[in-house]
Amino acid sequence: MAKVIINREINKESNEVLSGIATFPLKVSSLTWFQALSPHLQELVIDGLQSFMSEIEEIRLRVKRPIIFRVGDREMTVTAQKEFTLQLEQGYIITREEMERTVQILSQNSLYAWEDEFKNGYLTIPGGHRIGLVGRGILEQGEIKTLKDLSGINYRIGRQILGCADEVLPYLVKKEQAYHTLIISPPQCGKTTLLRDVIRQISEGIPELLFPGMNVGLVDERSEIAGMYQGEPQFQVGLRTDVLDACPKAQGMMMLVRSMSPGLIATDEIGKKEDIEALYNALQAGVKVITTVHGSGFEEIKERRNIQSLINWRFFERIIVLSRREGVGTIETIIDGKTLERLR
Amino acid sequence: MFKLLGAFCILGSCGYIGVRISSIYKKRTEIFRFLQNGLTLLETEISYCSTPLPLALERVGKKINKDCQPLFVRAAAVLKENKGVTAAEAWQAGVEALGHEVPLTKEEKELLFIFGHGLGGSAKEEQVKNIALTQKQLNVLEKAAEEEQARNQKMWQYLSFSIGAVIVLILI
Repeated sequence: MAKVIINREINKESNEVLSGIATFPLKVSSLTWFQALSPHLQELVIDGLQSFMSEIEEIRLRVKRPIIFRVGDREMTVTAQKEFTLQLEQGYIITREEMERTVQILSQNSLYAWEDEFKNGYLTIPGGHRIGLVGRGILEQGEIKTLKDLSGINYRIGRQILGCADEVLPYLVKKEQAYHTLIISPPQCGKTTLLRDVIRQISEGIPELLFPGMNVGLVDERSEIAGMYQGEPQFQVGLRTDVLDACPKAQGMMMLVRSMSPGLIATDEIGKKEDIEALYNALQAGVKVITTVHGSGFEEIKERRNIQSLINWRFFERIIVLSRREGVGTIETIIDGKTLERLR
Repeated sequence: MFKLLGAFCILGSCGYIGVRISSIYKKRTEIFRFLQNGLTLLETEISYCSTPLPLALERVGKKINKDCQPLFVRAAAVLKENKGVTAAEAWQAGVEALGHEVPLTKEEKELLFIFGHGLGGSAKEEQVKNIALTQKQLNVLEKAAEEEQARNQKMWQYLSFSIGAVIVLILI
C-alpha cells in the first residue's frame, strides 16, 4: 500500500516539474520511462535530478559502477544520499540486486515473454522508450540464444517533438507526391525524432503545403519509430500509417508493398545489401521511400559501399544532413539528390 | 410439542454442521483438479501467446472455476500494484488467498510456493517443464484428497447426525 502512495506522490510532483518547464510540449504520459525504474532509483531521480526530469536522454546502469544520466551533452549522477553531482565516481553504485530487480520490472517478471528481445539486446517499454541490455551471451549452435547475468542497462528515452519536421517538409513534398528522401545523421542528433514527425505529417496531410496526406507503410525493425507496445503505437505516427513492427527491413518493405499498398514506405537505418535491393523493388512498385542512415555528412556517405550505388544512381531526390551543432536536430543542409545542389 | 421442535432443531443443525465439514473435503479434491486445469491455461498463455505474467494470471483467473480464482486474481493484482515485487512473492500472496477459501496443509502450500519460485524467471521451455511437474504433483494431491474425501465425508455426516441424536436423547 505504501508503495502505491509513493507512486502517486511522485506523479503529482513530476506534473509540477513539467509545468515549470515549457521548452517543448510534454505530457505526463511521456514519463513512462520513469515507471520502469525500480522504486529506489525513482527516489534518486526525484530527489537528485528533479529539475532535469524532462531533459534526461539516457540513463545507464552498470553493475558495481555509478548510475549515469545523460542530459544533452552533459553526464551527471546522483549520490547515494540522493544529491546531484557532476563527479561521476561519487554516484550511487548499482548493485547486482538492483539490476535484477530492474530487469524484473522491465520484463514484468516474465522473461519468457521477451525471448526475442533479449536475443536482440533491447526491448521497448510503454511510451516507446528503448532499453538496451548487455550481459553474458548464451549460445546455441553459434547463435546468441539469450543473455544472462545482465551487467548493463541503457534507458534511451524517446521523445516526440510534434512539428520538428515543419522546417524540412516544404522540401520533401510536391503537390500530391513525396520525394525519395534520405536523412543522414550521426547518432543522438534526432534522426528518429525527425523521421517520426515527417511520417506523421505526410500521413495526416499538411494543409499549409496543400498536401492531402497519403498511406504510409512503416517498417519499424527496432520498434523505435512508432514504439509499438502490445499492438499500439506509443508515438503519434499519423492516421494513415500502417506499422510493421520488429520485422527485418528488406522483407518488411516487400510485405508492405504487397499487402497495404502504401504511397510511401518509411524505415530506419538502412545499410545492408538486401535493404538496397528492397529499395529498388519499392521503386519499381512506384512507392516512395524515406529512410535514414548513420553518418557524419554527405561526403562520408558517398564513400559507403552500399549507399554509394544509391547516390550515384541518383535514387534519392532529397538528402537531409543533421548535426548537433546548434543543439539536437540542427538541420545542417538539404541537398537535391538529382543535381546534388544545396537547397538550404 | 416444543420438545419435538427443539429436537428437530438440534438434529437439523448438527446434521448441517456435518454436511459443511464433509463438503470441505469435496472442495479440496475439486481445488486440486481445477488447479491443474488452471496451470494448463497458464501454459497456453505463456508458451503460445507469450503473455506477460500479470496479464496471463488475470486471464486465467477469469476463465477458471471460481474456487480457484482467488489464487490467480490475487497474484495478478499483487504483481500489477506493487513495483519491484517478485513473481514468487505475488504467487505466495495468491496461495495465501486460496488458503482462506479452503484449508491447505503446510506441505500443499509449500508445493505451490516452490512452483512460484520458478514462475516467470526463465525461458518458455523451462516454464512449461515447471508447470508440467507441478501438475503431476497436484494430481497426486488430488488422488490423496479423493481418498480422504471417501473416508471422511460419510463419517462426518453420520457422526454429526449421531451426535445430534445423542444430545436429543440426553435432553429428553
